Amino acid sequence: MSEMWINMGPQHPMTHGLWNLRVKIDGEMVLDVDPEMGYLHRGIEKISEDRHYNEVITLMDRCCYVAGFAWEHLYILAAEQALHIRPPERAEYLRVMSDEFQRIGSHLMWYAAFVQDLGLMSPFLYGMRDRDLVLDLFQAYTGARLTYEYMRVGGVRNDVPPGFTDRARKVLDWLDDRYREYDALCMGSTIFRERCDDLGILKANDCVAHGVTGPMLRAAGVRRDLRKDRPYAVYKQIDFDVAQADAADVTARYLVRMEEMRQSNRILRQVLDWLDHHPGPMMADNLPRWLGAPYAPIGNEGYLLKRSYPKGTGFSAVEEPHGEACAYVVNEGALHPYRVKFRSPVFSNISAARQYLVGYHVADIPPIMGSVDVCVGEVDR
Amino acid sequence: MTEAKTSDGENAADNPILYVARPMATAARQFAKSLRRPSTIVYPYERLEDPRFRDQVAVEPGRPIGVGQVWDNYRGVHALNIATCISCNLCAFSCPDICIEMVTVPGDDPKHPKKCPQIDYGKCSYCGFCSDACPEGCLTMTTRYELSTPHRAEMVYSPQKLNEVFRSKLPMNPIRLELPENEDRILLDPPLCIGCNACARDCPTQCITMLDVPRPDAKPGEKLPKRIWKEPVVNDSDCVRCGTCISVCPKECLFWGSRP
Amino acid sequence: MSSATLYSVSYALAALILNVIGFIIPPIRAPITNVDVVTVLAVLIFGALLLAASMLNTILLIWWERKLLGRFMDRRGAMHVGFAGLLQNFADGFKLFRKNTFQPAEADTLGFYSGPTAYMVTSMILFGILPISSGWNSGSLPLSLLLALAIFSFAPLFIFVSAWSSNNKYSLMGGMRSAAQMIAYEVPILLAVVSVVILSGSFSLTTIVYEQQNYWFWGPLVVALIVFVAAMLAEMERIPFDLPEAEAELVEGWNTEYGGMLFAFFMLADYLRALVGSILVVLLFLGGWTLPTWVPSAATSFPLAGILWFMLKTYLVFGLFVWVRASLPRVRTDQLLRVGWNRMIPLALLSVFLAAALVTVRCVPVFGCVPSAGA
Repeated sequence: MSEMWINMGPQHPMTHGLWNLRVKIDGEMVLDVDPEMGYLHRGIEKISEDRHYNEVITLMDRCCYVAGFAWEHLYILAAEQALHIRPPERAEYLRVMSDEFQRIGSHLMWYAAFVQDLGLMSPFLYGMRDRDLVLDLFQAYTGARLTYEYMRVGGVRNDVPPGFTDRARKVLDWLDDRYREYDALCMGSTIFRERCDDLGILKANDCVAHGVTGPMLRAAGVRRDLRKDRPYAVYKQIDFDVAQADAADVTARYLVRMEEMRQSNRILRQVLDWLDHHPGPMMADNLPRWLGAPYAPIGNEGYLLKRSYPKGTGFSAVEEPHGEACAYVVNEGALHPYRVKFRSPVFSNISAARQYLVGYHVADIPPIMGSVDVCVGEVDR
Repeated sequence: MTEAKTSDGENAADNPILYVARPMATAARQFAKSLRRPSTIVYPYERLEDPRFRDQVAVEPGRPIGVGQVWDNYRGVHALNIATCISCNLCAFSCPDICIEMVTVPGDDPKHPKKCPQIDYGKCSYCGFCSDACPEGCLTMTTRYELSTPHRAEMVYSPQKLNEVFRSKLPMNPIRLELPENEDRILLDPPLCIGCNACARDCPTQCITMLDVPRPDAKPGEKLPKRIWKEPVVNDSDCVRCGTCISVCPKECLFWGSRP
Repeated sequence: MSSATLYSVSYALAALILNVIGFIIPPIRAPITNVDVVTVLAVLIFGALLLAASMLNTILLIWWERKLLGRFMDRRGAMHVGFAGLLQNFADGFKLFRKNTFQPAEADTLGFYSGPTAYMVTSMILFGILPISSGWNSGSLPLSLLLALAIFSFAPLFIFVSAWSSNNKYSLMGGMRSAAQMIAYEVPILLAVVSVVILSGSFSLTTIVYEQQNYWFWGPLVVALIVFVAAMLAEMERIPFDLPEAEAELVEGWNTEYGGMLFAFFMLADYLRALVGSILVVLLFLGGWTLPTWVPSAATSFPLAGILWFMLKTYLVFGLFVWVRASLPRVRTDQLLRVGWNRMIPLALLSVFLAAALVTVRCVPVFGCVPSAGA
């Protein structure tokens, strides 16, 4: 066979979302790749400029459909900084709880999809089954399973229902057992190790050069986690470790994500204990009504300008399950943000595809891309 | 700091035996567990809101799981209590997807028809902002989630249909958003007011009354207009801050502001 | 029903049909009720029954896989059509049958249509060779084992033909992989079979089964069994060796461009081959339709006992394949080749030596020293 280009995507089983990976192959070897994004562009940044601060949250859940809470938190942090609001502590704990459950849910989804890329179907269902428990918890306190609309500027919408923390602890216990099962299915399997060891290597230098963050960076031996390095919310008060591995291959990324799930369990136990003993308000008390309500005030808009709400800008960086996401919100004193800008970690991670795909087999592309954990919703926004 | 364990030195490819025992044992254990009952719920026959799943805690030790439950605060199809709806328009205004339209429902007063939300579920994103915004608590969300229909037009739920959902006594979202105290009031720019009564007529809560107010700007000795001037006075404790008065005012003399 | 009775049923059916026709049209009664004519028709009916039985079993096998796999994955599998979803595959089949066949532009028509047909037909021929109970004379051909393996290994050729004719890059890569991996599993299969042949002293499947009256061959030849099962997985193109249709990277591999009835052909033939693979394992290593001698004779004396035990074993062996599918990921082409050449062939050779040694000392250590009837 001579060299040829094949399209892996946008309608291809590997590209779970909507993107296209053009691959130049010679037989089974990958000579060149060319990732094409943009199939899922919805103009979220632009739409945000025309929406009330709280209404933007409905878009954030749809940015990344497996890590909605991480993006809500990201936007809320930036918006609160821009609007000079400090949320109450309990709301911050609830946000961290949501974040960490979301990390578990996202990693379980990743695990399911990643192992399925290797041709193994049952962990897919195990992962989705266990993720469903996390979603059940989300539904218990937000009322939705995927698009939560839970965090609000100045706090969170509501408190967790009674009995929630006990149920959450049970889910954590269950998950602790499942992690061992996952390891038995993957790390205990010679075929898995043969497939994943020394595959898709992206060294720390290349990671930094291409802006690759998150588990991929940590799998390359760099101990960087925004929850430690640039603590937001209440992460400073929580005891946890940063998962890290050195091999920079697919196995290392697997190990890092598994360890992150365990660490999330650890964080969650602390957060749940805190929540049990510290009742408090959900919303900041000095919050103007027009920010607390889910809608902008009706009538003459200019009144706000008369009131001259202080202008400001907000920047936030959050360690979301896929990597480091950043948001920048400009408040020009209007009812809606003047400009919202997001940095998606997955965009950088898959932009570096040429670095970690070329030179491997065609059959290696799905596991390598699976180990990147692509979420196209946030790539294209 | 824990280090995630990496490749423990040995290269699996050099392993002389194709070692597959552990994953196969794991799968077999799962098989044995799910022989009793798989985690799936046979949806059309069993339903999550079934009482036996309702009371079941999602996780029972030693049992294959995946059985959750629909909690009462699930955000599904809306329920509308037409009787208590005050036609304030806040739900339609708060909808980020612009899927709510206020349509006339037959009411007692033909002169001032009552308007209630009609929801297009083809557009609705179930964010719950409308029920958060509803000042009377008459628009809530229920645990109903089955909406499929062969016709797109049937996705538009009229107020009467939403009222039927309300009457079906489905569990409704019990969590109400606690809005911050509103320091904003409806204020009047008196020189502009022409006393047209539009605000008082359209106020959903009828908290605006037209009262005789002495004209502060009338200089002593100045000839007052012959007709009796009335100005709207807002009863702030009843006002739901819906802004209807502002939007109907022909002279744009009403506005939001903090009362001095 | 043993094959003798199956054939006698066919013969009676043929005689009945011909007599009825002769009764309706008296002039041709004498020539068509001639014994030769009846025999020809009886053979045709026998073949049709065999075909129907094999297809039925194949569809049942798909159901069996779906149910088993469902439990492995903590779900239920097909369950709506018919009792416990038994008729689901018939429903699927009818759906595929009703679908339009789509041929891609610039696909080679001859290859595109003949590939799946030949794949299907060669898979079905195998059922004429494999004995499934004691009276099954077709399997007692002196070289039936070799014939079965030879026909069994046709498949990659047809896969490659249909893949190349599809004019699709994924199909072509799938076909290439299919052809490439063939050399990795054919040699181990044959070597594993050689040890069975050494132990039984025959290439006839029926004889091999009868040689297992005293002990089943999986005991002394457990290494050969492992090699044979692993290589069979590759031969049947099942996970973990389903590289030619690795759906993660090759969409559907070599049958990407096939839809409707042609896809149904591939699907059916795949499971036919899975059935044949399971049957071969049962025949060569698990004693075929025989039961161990310590089983009370009541278990084998009722009618259809042979077929019943045989099918039970076959489905259990296929359950093993499903178990493997539920717990192992897919390997890569080069890894399959490495496993085939570096692991399976030495193991199979070891097994050959073992079998030769056993025959030489006429002693089977696992079940105590039983005189080997072969050699």
